[in-house]
This record gives sequence, structure tokens and C-alpha cells, in this order.
Amino acid sequence: MTGEEIRPSRLHWWWLAGALAALAGAGLLAVLMGAVDLDARSVLLSVVDRLPFVDADSGLNDRQEAILWELRMPRVALGGIVGAMLAVAGGSYQGSFRNPLADPYLLGAAAGAGLGATIAFAYGAGLPSTPVDTLPLLAFIGGVAGVAATYAIGYSVKAGRTPVMLILAGVAVAAFLTAIQTYLQQRNAETLREVYGWILGRLSTVGWGEVWLVLPYVVVSILVVLLGAGRLDVLSVGDDEAVTLGVNPPRVRLVMVLAATLGTAAVVAVSGLIGFVGIIVPHAIRIVFGSSYRVILPLSVILGAAFLILADLLARTVAAPAEIPIGVVTAFFGAPFFAIVLRSSRGLGS
Amino acid sequence: MTPSLSLSDIGVRFNGSRILASVDMEIARGEWLGIIGPNGAGKSTLLRAIMGAVEFDGSIAIGGVPTSTMKRRDLARSVALVPQHPVLPPGMRVVDYVLLGRTPHVHAVTGPSLHDLDVVATILSALTLSSFVDRDVTTLSGGELQRVVIARALAQESPILLLDEPTTSLDIGKQQEVLELVDRLRRERTLTIVSAMHDLTIAAQFPDRLIMLADGAVVAEGGGRSVLDPALIRTHYSADVKILDDGSGGIVVVPQRSQDPMNDSKN
Repeated sequence: MTGEEIRPSRLHWWWLAGALAALAGAGLLAVLMGAVDLDARSVLLSVVDRLPFVDADSGLNDRQEAILWELRMPRVALGGIVGAMLAVAGGSYQGSFRNPLADPYLLGAAAGAGLGATIAFAYGAGLPSTPVDTLPLLAFIGGVAGVAATYAIGYSVKAGRTPVMLILAGVAVAAFLTAIQTYLQQRNAETLREVYGWILGRLSTVGWGEVWLVLPYVVVSILVVLLGAGRLDVLSVGDDEAVTLGVNPPRVRLVMVLAATLGTAAVVAVSGLIGFVGIIVPHAIRIVFGSSYRVILPLSVILGAAFLILADLLARTVAAPAEIPIGVVTAFFGAPFFAIVLRSSRGLGS
Repeated sequence: MTPSLSLSDIGVRFNGSRILASVDMEIARGEWLGIIGPNGAGKSTLLRAIMGAVEFDGSIAIGGVPTSTMKRRDLARSVALVPQHPVLPPGMRVVDYVLLGRTPHVHAVTGPSLHDLDVVATILSALTLSSFVDRDVTTLSGGELQRVVIARALAQESPILLLDEPTTSLDIGKQQEVLELVDRLRRERTLTIVSAMHDLTIAAQFPDRLIMLADGAVVAEGGGRSVLDPALIRTHYSADVKILDDGSGGIVVVPQRSQDPMNDSKN
């Protein structure tokens, strides 16, 4: 037997190509469908027209062009960015904590962002103006602060810095922050609806501002997470054995969690708390393509984006002209989908 | 010649209680040292100290270089551990599991090279695991699993191999198979071996030399015949044993009942 004959798990190009095709399909579908239907040929020509040195007549009128470029495209882009980030962050957390239920919201990120957003809704008008809108700013700060508090508490545990301690600290921090958030929400009942809408998540955006706002954070954190994928495979044998393989588990965990959290806090700041993506996307990939994070994480980026773009398409078309909160869609359609994947899996043990 | 591995005045405390105290030992290149001792004597902790997985006082040196000055990665290239209870990631294939042993050699970002795959392939062949490459590690039998875990440790290509009770959950045939394999690999690859051992008869058969630990301290050291002494075993294991000749130069440690079971049952 030689090295060429053994086939370790790796990302095959045809998996990558298939995932990219799925993403392109989802994106195109989402751009075409809506209150005003656009036809595929015109949309593609309009895209070509925007390329440098190329001139093409899309046949779209100004209103259609505006719908395409100022409403649909930014919304699809934002959906893709948020979905990619939440999914890859979920995978990163699951690998870091060796816990299949870990997700970006686990360590206080969601509760912190929720508190930040509630403060913005309730008292935003009275706060000094900042270059960025108060809502995403406070949600971002809240999310990062929530995770920082969790880490501070989890790492002060005398018995040892284990992943379990960190998760328990996260539970405590989340409960505490949620209590404050609920109190503020009740005190400011007039903002109840807005806060609730934010918590359920939404991608309604006009123009590209939010896309450019979150993109740098997301690009950096996805890059860091993808570069650490191989290390997460080593952590899967536990901290003790990972040490004997020359790895520093707390450091790997810190980097992976920090990157995932930063990106998550950024997308949550503009999209609200869209649930379930970080759990089902990486798990569906794990069941179909195997347990190596070198495969799970890159595919999570692409398929997470495709998943959320489709979820958002459903959110705005199923009950049109009304919009369903996207968090409702991800759970309502995601849960049965996940159940089907689970049932058809060969069973991966406990 | 500089000993391959030398421990001087090793102490380990955990939560205020002493696990190891003033342990000294020197192990020559290519030697097999067996560590015996009752449960809780500190055998596993000693191996973990060598691996740098627990904090310790004193000094451990590999080829004269203190491990405290080595990077984790370099330490993992010098010493590999076969754990007593390996953690098996669900869904991980044997080939991926053994490839984890290449971690100290693999670039974290670019992943394993063809050379890494060649090393793994050679080891899988040597351990007759070639037909197992695609099996899920959680579906292996005890003997198969032990070979796979040893394969992972060998993939580190470290000159020192630590085995923590490598035969505990194996039947007698698999015990022999695994230890003969370790002995063969030691000769072929000039490995230095330190193994914590449970079965005293087997401890008498395979290692060149034995050390008995009790309450975190070395209480006896030397060849099988001198360390496996009924009085010592009585003191430290609270066990009554007889040491018998096996007829071919080796010894056998046989447990004895304190009372005649026949008489006992009549009462």
C-alpha cells in the first residue's frame, strides 16, 4: 500500500463545484422571484452590463433595474453573508467544544446582542450619534461582551478550564443578560414589537450599506476559521490526546471561538437572531460528507449561504405581500429537512 | 552514551495531593522499561508528565534536552503516547485517525503531504490494517482498535513510545499479539519504550527492566526476578502471589487465595 492509495477525507473539487452551483442557483432564484418577477435572461444581461469593459442591453426599465440592484441583489448578498457566517461559526463551535449542539449563540453572543439591540430600540433616540447606526453597533458590542463575560467566568473556574465549564458559564451569562433584556423590554412596552421582530431575525435591507458594513468582519473570521479546520480535527480526540499530538487545545479553541464569535456578532447586528442555521447546516454536511472539519467548514460557508438565501426567499414570498420573520422560516423548513437528513443517515454513533 | 530519556526528581501534585514524588529514572535508547504498581500508584501520571500533559517539578530530558525547553510540536516528534482509553471521534475513518499522528509534522494550513500519506500507508501495511482504512473507528473490536491507536502513535515517527496499559481490555491472544507487535517494532525501528503495565506475568516477559511505583515513589527497580518479589507485591499490592518458573527461563506470577476454597465452602 502506498500513500497514493489511501484516501484520507478531503474536500473533493466536485463537492465544491456542486455546492457552488447550488449557491448560484439559490442566488439566481432569489433575485428573480418577488412581487415583481424579473426574467433570468435580463438579469444575467444586467449583471454582464455591470462588468468592466462590457456593454449589454438588459432590456430592464429603470424601476426593474432599481429593484434588481437596490433591493434584490443586496438582500441576496446579505442573506448569503449571514448564512455563510452563521453556518461556519456553528461548525467552528461544534469542533472547538466537541459538542454537537454548540452553536454561535451558545456562549452568550445571542443574549448579549439581544440586550444591545433592546437598549438601542428603547433608548437609541437619546444616545449620542455615531458613524454607524446605534442598533448594529450596540448589538455587536453586546454580542462580543456576552462572550467575553462567558470566557472570563469560565476561565476563572479553579477546577480547570474545560469546555464544559465554558458552556456552563455561557448558560449563566445568557440567563443573566436575557433577564436584563426582558426587564428593559417590559419597561419600554412601546418598542416590544420592534425588539421581537429583531429577535426573530430579518434581512430587509435597502442598498448595500449593511453588506459593506459586515463584509470585512465576515471575511476575516471565515478565513481564520477555515485555516484552523485541520486543528479542529485534532481536537476531536480530546484535549489530553491533542496535547500529545503537539497541539495547544485552549489556544486553538480561543482562536476558533473568537473568530466565529466576532463574525457572528457582526452579522447578528444587522440580521437579528436567525436561529438554527449554525446547527443544521454543519450537521447535514457532516452526515452526508463525513466528519472532517476540512470538509465541513468550507462546505458550511457555501451551503450556509445557499440555505439562508432560500429561507429568505420563502420568508418574503410565502405570505406575500407580508413577510414572515426569517427565523421562523429557518426553523419551520429547516427542522423537517434536518429530520429527513437524520433519518436517512447511516447513524454516526453518539 | 546519553540516555534516551532521563527523569530526575520528578514530582507532580494535583489539587494539593501528591501524585508523584522524587522519581528518578534513566532509559537507554532501544530499551523497554515496564512500569508496574497498584492502581493509583502514579503510572499514568508519570507517562503524562513525560508527554508534557501535566505540570511537574524536576527535570525530564530527551537526548539531554530538557522537555521544558521544547515546543509542544517538537516534543510530539520525540515522544508518542498510546493512551489507555483513547477518545474515538464518531464517524472518523481509520485512515483519518492514523493520519492525526502526523499532526506534529503537518503544516497546519496546507495539510498532509504525499510523504505524510506514504508514512501512514507504510504503517498501515506493517500493522496489517490496510483493509481497515475506511472503517469507522467506533466500530472496531478491541484488538483492532489497539493496533489502530498504536499505528497513530507510530505515525508520529517519534523515537520514544509510551504505552499506557496497552493490553487492559484485550483477551489473552490479543494481549500477546499487541505486545509481540510492539517488541517487533522496537527492534525494527530502534524505539525506546516505556509502558505502564497491569499484568505482572506479562510485565516479566516483555520489558528489559521493570520499575515498581507505589504511592508516587519508586519502590523497586531492576529485572523481572528482582522486582517481582512476593514480599514486595504483598506490601504494595496487598496481594498474595507465588512466583513460579515457567520452564523456559521466565517467571510466572500466580495469585493465591489466602484460604483453601474447599474448606471455605464447607463452613
